[in-house]
Amino acid sequence: MNEKQVHKFVQRYLESTGCRIIEKSPSHFHVKLSPRADRDLTNRPFYWSFVDRTGADPETMSMLLITDKVKYDAANASHQSSGSFGGSSASAPASSALPGTIGTAQGGSMAEAAAAALGRSLGHVHGSLNTSSRIPKEELHYGSRKLEQLFESARCGGSYVCLFQEPDKRGTHPFHSTPYTAWLGVNMKIEFACDMKREEFHSFGVSLTTGQCAEGFHERLLKLRLTPRLPPNVHIAKNAVTLNKAVTIIEGTIERRLRSYDFRWAELAAARLQDELATINHYYDPLLESAEEENRPAIQEQYERRQNEIRWQYEPRITVSAMNCGIFYLQGIG
Amino acid sequence: MHSTTNNTFKGEQPSAVHSRKLHPDADIQFDRSWFHNLQERVDRNGPWDDWSMYQLAVEAQQTKLIGSFDDLQCLRSLPAFEPMQHQISTARRVLHEMSGRAILADEVGLGKTIEAGLVLKEYMVRGLVRRALILVPASLVLQWVRELNQKFGISAIAQKKEHTWQYDVVVASIDTAKRDPHRPILLGTDYDIIIIDEAHKLKNKKTTNYQFVNQLRKKYCLLLTATPVQNDLDELYNLITLLKPGQLGGQSDFAANFVVDKRVPKNEDQLQQALSTVMIRNRRGDGGIQFTKRIVKNIEMSLSPEEQALYDAVTSFVRERYDESGGDLSSMLSLVTLQREVCSSRDAVFLTLVNMFKKTSEDSPVRAKIWQLVEVIKGIQANSKAEKTMELVREMNEKVIIFTEYRATQEYLLQYLKSNNIVAVPYRGGMNRGKKDWMMDLFRGRAQVLIATEAGGEGINLQFCHHIINFDLPWNPMRVEQRIGRVHRLGQTSDVKIYNLCTLGTIEEHIVGLLHEKINLFELVIGELDHILERFEKKDGSIEQKLARAMLEAGNSSELRKRIDDLGESISRVKEEVEAEEPLIDVSVMDSVMNAVVGQTVEVRP
Repeated sequence: MNEKQVHKFVQRYLESTGCRIIEKSPSHFHVKLSPRADRDLTNRPFYWSFVDRTGADPETMSMLLITDKVKYDAANASHQSSGSFGGSSASAPASSALPGTIGTAQGGSMAEAAAAALGRSLGHVHGSLNTSSRIPKEELHYGSRKLEQLFESARCGGSYVCLFQEPDKRGTHPFHSTPYTAWLGVNMKIEFACDMKREEFHSFGVSLTTGQCAEGFHERLLKLRLTPRLPPNVHIAKNAVTLNKAVTIIEGTIERRLRSYDFRWAELAAARLQDELATINHYYDPLLESAEEENRPAIQEQYERRQNEIRWQYEPRITVSAMNCGIFYLQGIG
Repeated sequence: MHSTTNNTFKGEQPSAVHSRKLHPDADIQFDRSWFHNLQERVDRNGPWDDWSMYQLAVEAQQTKLIGSFDDLQCLRSLPAFEPMQHQISTARRVLHEMSGRAILADEVGLGKTIEAGLVLKEYMVRGLVRRALILVPASLVLQWVRELNQKFGISAIAQKKEHTWQYDVVVASIDTAKRDPHRPILLGTDYDIIIIDEAHKLKNKKTTNYQFVNQLRKKYCLLLTATPVQNDLDELYNLITLLKPGQLGGQSDFAANFVVDKRVPKNEDQLQQALSTVMIRNRRGDGGIQFTKRIVKNIEMSLSPEEQALYDAVTSFVRERYDESGGDLSSMLSLVTLQREVCSSRDAVFLTLVNMFKKTSEDSPVRAKIWQLVEVIKGIQANSKAEKTMELVREMNEKVIIFTEYRATQEYLLQYLKSNNIVAVPYRGGMNRGKKDWMMDLFRGRAQVLIATEAGGEGINLQFCHHIINFDLPWNPMRVEQRIGRVHRLGQTSDVKIYNLCTLGTIEEHIVGLLHEKINLFELVIGELDHILERFEKKDGSIEQKLARAMLEAGNSSELRKRIDDLGESISRVKEEVEAEEPLIDVSVMDSVMNAVVGQTVEVRP
């Protein structure tokens, strides 16, 4: 995610959670959080449990979310410098009468330098003290903790959905009923792990009417307009496939898919595993042989611990889990 | 024991995992916990989440997806921090060639911590590590916590209480960790990774530290040390056995294959080969700029007559008390302090005298004598050292750190500099972290002078400053080295100028002579002082104590000089011993073995 993508993501998150954006630029948001976002982002579990227990009106926090630090700092610096220039011209009207770009440029660069020096000496802490209200300032770059919290909040708040496709407006006859089909949609993460790891994303949809399994289902959904409410003049085709069966279909599809994969990584990891086991065997065998009777159990135990560690470290495994899922009612019989 | 962070889906139920064989070498596991949750909602018709959050969730997860086995994912999540090339390639090798078990043996100052941080972060990003234990010397705990948090965005916690262990990433001192009540907790935990700093302290198999670490259950493991071999080859063998038992064969194989004498290896090529599978050692380039120079200047000065009077009065007071005590050193600590303080400032002396006065019983004749000393103090109007310092600070007109041992001197200097319109900020051990950082920021910004009472191992990095004034000197050479080390380190671009203030005709003159001329402390190779002191103290006890005794026992100045000279001699001897030994292993064969294959040479250009 680059700065732009982060910015867009944050904006959509704030809108989805009902936060009030007080001020924004391409590099930052100043927001008053909604209770929902506040719960997830401000690390105040005690406050929220207090609100929940007493029923008090919650006072949510405001936050300054910076999505592009470089741009934000630059914009801020120029803002400050023009501000201070205005200030000086107000206090000394004579100088403001001076013609010219030179004056402005000089004033600007001087103030900029001063601001920079001040920033350097006062550091981060003072910067936030300086603003009139004490609002926490958070940098949201990929990998930052706050963005990670947003991700987590989205994950928790976007796990299970039940949605209907909005019908095309035109051509709907008031007495005509459109057939809809229920689909189970699941976004899957497949993890290939040994001492190293990689992951894949797969999105599946299974029609609960026919049992057909579609890949790239999420992309398909993104092209549709979806609503949580059942649209009028719609009838839903009878489900012939249980959810349970649908899951089996998806798992079967994944398995078939994976069988055609290259498994060299697993073979190599298994070979490393065998190598490592042989190496420690080479160490512990003579040790066990020559050990005094009373020490042997301790050495044996250590040996087994090492073997377990090595299996833990190298054993190749594939894990399939869902990121999120839902029931989707889509137009047509599929 | 093998659960890591893999699946973090809401309401995970471990029982909902279905496992099947997919390939002779790999099982496939379907985590179905999601399905149970979905079924529940279908049955109860809700609650359902938003479509927009659902999309955001997918996007977030897709961004975090790990596309390939062997790239370095963590770099893109660390935009504010740019590791050096050799650090990145070291991290890669640990991850991809050594499967996460390695000895990081870079020479001092090349950033072993950074390398370990990169490896840790990468495993965390990939979800291969959740629980990490980092064992370091007590003095480095906070530094590690800070580095991991600030540079790597890893929420590491310094171990304080028993319950701290439940956090995912804990930094602790090994001496605490191995003791009850902590020990059973740690031994009962499966750590995805264990990192041990200063791992050469684990060279001896028989120590409790070694055995403790050996018993910990771990998946990945990093051992950090600049000196994997200090005395003999067994140390190296023991370290590797912690990581990968058998990597150099059984103990007898190792002896037969690689060891001529315990200090001389054979079959160097094979040894190199074997080592390079578990160890990486980057070295500073021979031709490149290494560290900048240290330029030491002793500023000699005479005390004013009033100050001299106080010095003499204190000296005879101290000697009298010592004689009265019958040579018992243990109770003489405050007297030694007094003698040292009188070389620093009258404020420091005054404070100690007041405390001493309070502790002395009311009918003791000593009280009157203490009071006499206080009267002498009153006669002092100026501080010659402070004036000299002022002069130096004005002259250099750049950032400078003034170190003093005494809080009272620090306060005095702050006032004094302030009254001379020089902006100075204090720094001391008792400040909390936030205040320390605040002071650092001020110093980096608008204050010209930092006055510190502590150099500590807490990782204050002050490379932007290259002047140090030792207003007074500690008697422990290691502490002097720590002071300088704050400034003279990787990233320092200028030669470091060190000014030692030295009042003639006082004990201080002897100390400066000892540290500067005899030990040549200021120009020792980094790390060497450690060895020398360790060996010296094993034989003779601490230098501080020796000095204290010499000072108290010597009847006059020439006797004192002789005793300090003797001390210097014996330190010199140890130093020569250490230097003479080194070629036996390190420099010649062993070093070439270690250096030939297992790392890269780094041109450190500040």
